[in-house]
Amino acid sequence: MKAIVDCNSFYCSCEKVFRPDLHHKPVVVLSNNDGCIVSRTDEAKKLGVGMAAPYFQNKDVIEKNDVAVFSSNYHLYGDLSMRVMDTLKELVGENNVEIYSVDEAFLDLDLIGFDQLESAAKNIKETVEQWTGIEVSVGVAPTKVLAKVANRLSKKDKKTSRGIMVLNTDEEIINALRRTAVEDIWGVGYRSATKLKEIWGIYDGLQLRNMNEEWASTYLGGVVGERLIRELKGDFSIKMEKPLINKKMIATTRMFGQAVTNINDIKEAVATYTSKAAEKLRRQRSAAKVVSVFVVPKEESHAGDFRYGNIISDYQTLPSATSFTHELIKPAIQLVDKLYKKGNSYKKAGVMLSGLVPDTSIQSNLFYTEPKNCGRLLMDMIDNVNFSMRDDVLKFAASGTTRDWKMRQEMRSKRFTTRWEELFSVH
Amino acid sequence: MDGEQFYGAAYRGSKQFTQQDARTANATGFGAAADDYAERGIDLNEQLIRNKPATFFFRMKGDAMTGAGIFDGDVLIVDRSLKLANGKVIVAILNGELLIRRYHKNFSSAFLIAENERFKSINLAEFSDFALWGVVVYSIHQL
Repeated sequence: MKAIVDCNSFYCSCEKVFRPDLHHKPVVVLSNNDGCIVSRTDEAKKLGVGMAAPYFQNKDVIEKNDVAVFSSNYHLYGDLSMRVMDTLKELVGENNVEIYSVDEAFLDLDLIGFDQLESAAKNIKETVEQWTGIEVSVGVAPTKVLAKVANRLSKKDKKTSRGIMVLNTDEEIINALRRTAVEDIWGVGYRSATKLKEIWGIYDGLQLRNMNEEWASTYLGGVVGERLIRELKGDFSIKMEKPLINKKMIATTRMFGQAVTNINDIKEAVATYTSKAAEKLRRQRSAAKVVSVFVVPKEESHAGDFRYGNIISDYQTLPSATSFTHELIKPAIQLVDKLYKKGNSYKKAGVMLSGLVPDTSIQSNLFYTEPKNCGRLLMDMIDNVNFSMRDDVLKFAASGTTRDWKMRQEMRSKRFTTRWEELFSVH
Repeated sequence: MDGEQFYGAAYRGSKQFTQQDARTANATGFGAAADDYAERGIDLNEQLIRNKPATFFFRMKGDAMTGAGIFDGDVLIVDRSLKLANGKVIVAILNGELLIRRYHKNFSSAFLIAENERFKSINLAEFSDFALWGVVVYSIHQL
């Protein structure tokens, strides 16, 4: 049997760990730059606060109902996420946990007897809540897709489920699928859900389960569709995955707090994002061969699809792969020169490093002398200082000295769990 | 916790080396006798933090617990995985706030006691929202 453990309104739960006065109160957490609502408690949802909705659109409801508002505090969320995952590893064994996202993990419960699943799930839930203060829901079923279904239903009806649902028998599975719309099934996208409903008349999970694999192979995206049908029938086919240790591509991108028109400002921002990306690059001991930069101009009308917008990008291939910030900033800034059009205003920029190779085996080029060890020493020193003290104590001048190109976070709580000088004070 | 010793199979401290990498005297002459006794050494993370995902740090503010040896500005190590027990110094949730007090229970009622005469004891019968946040296991005091 497989389980999924999912933290309830994770970012809000993190804020509530040190704020017991917010127990059962409406709470929301805002995205970078305090733009959108990215997490909300059930109580906030009941007030009609929308998910992923712009903060200003909800300001009235929020102020009228005294909703607690927080800027995102990724130091705190990252730390608590690790605590939740460590607790799960402690409970079921490190190799039986697949971390799926910051607030979700799949567990392999094959070693637990069928009659003990319910109590095991209860123990997992209670231990995580006691140790970390984060409330979770647990769905247990023969496959990952069905575990997701169980988890979703347990959240919908917390009073009777108490945050736990175990789908053990065929009858329980069929019942649960009947109550689940196709678009709510893990792996069914918005587009395929529309197709399933309009062309095939398939509205719920049970109808989808009753289709056969040949049909899924033809009409539901080949192997992926087949696997989905098998999973719905209770046949475990989406394997537990090993953690992704090295990423193939590293990107840093942000919306600007406000539209930017000056090219030097964009260069500063791009230099800042490049430094951050290079830091991530070095952390996984890789070097990059390709630097890409993109900018998104601010449109006059929002008629188009605002999610994709009008991205302008270009890239440069480096003579040899590098992980040194100064060697990456230079081409990145040259790319800004190329992309920038005078008179335009921009709302977003980003840097992407690709063509990654392991840092130890950087292939040197016959026409390009290998950089000396000094570069590595400098980078190590910068990373150590920034990592142990605070972000960006040391940075390259190209990133600018006056402006903070990082997030605007006006209502951020303190970093209670990661900073010695910000520990929570108690009387 | 008090006086209890755990001998776990897994090392939970922060020194990133195994017994194979334990340092030796590296003497060029005669000095290898001590090498037979090389150890990892003392590690505060291992000694003071028994359950890492459940351990949090707080800073004491005020002098409510001076009698227990906890002074203003001290850092408290709090373990959420421990159960509430009579006589423990705890982080309590009361009135939606976090509070450091000693938990005391007798046959009929329970109290949160400050270790300072100037503070009154709190009778928990008068509060409906009392809950345990965590148990204080160590206090770090700068001399």
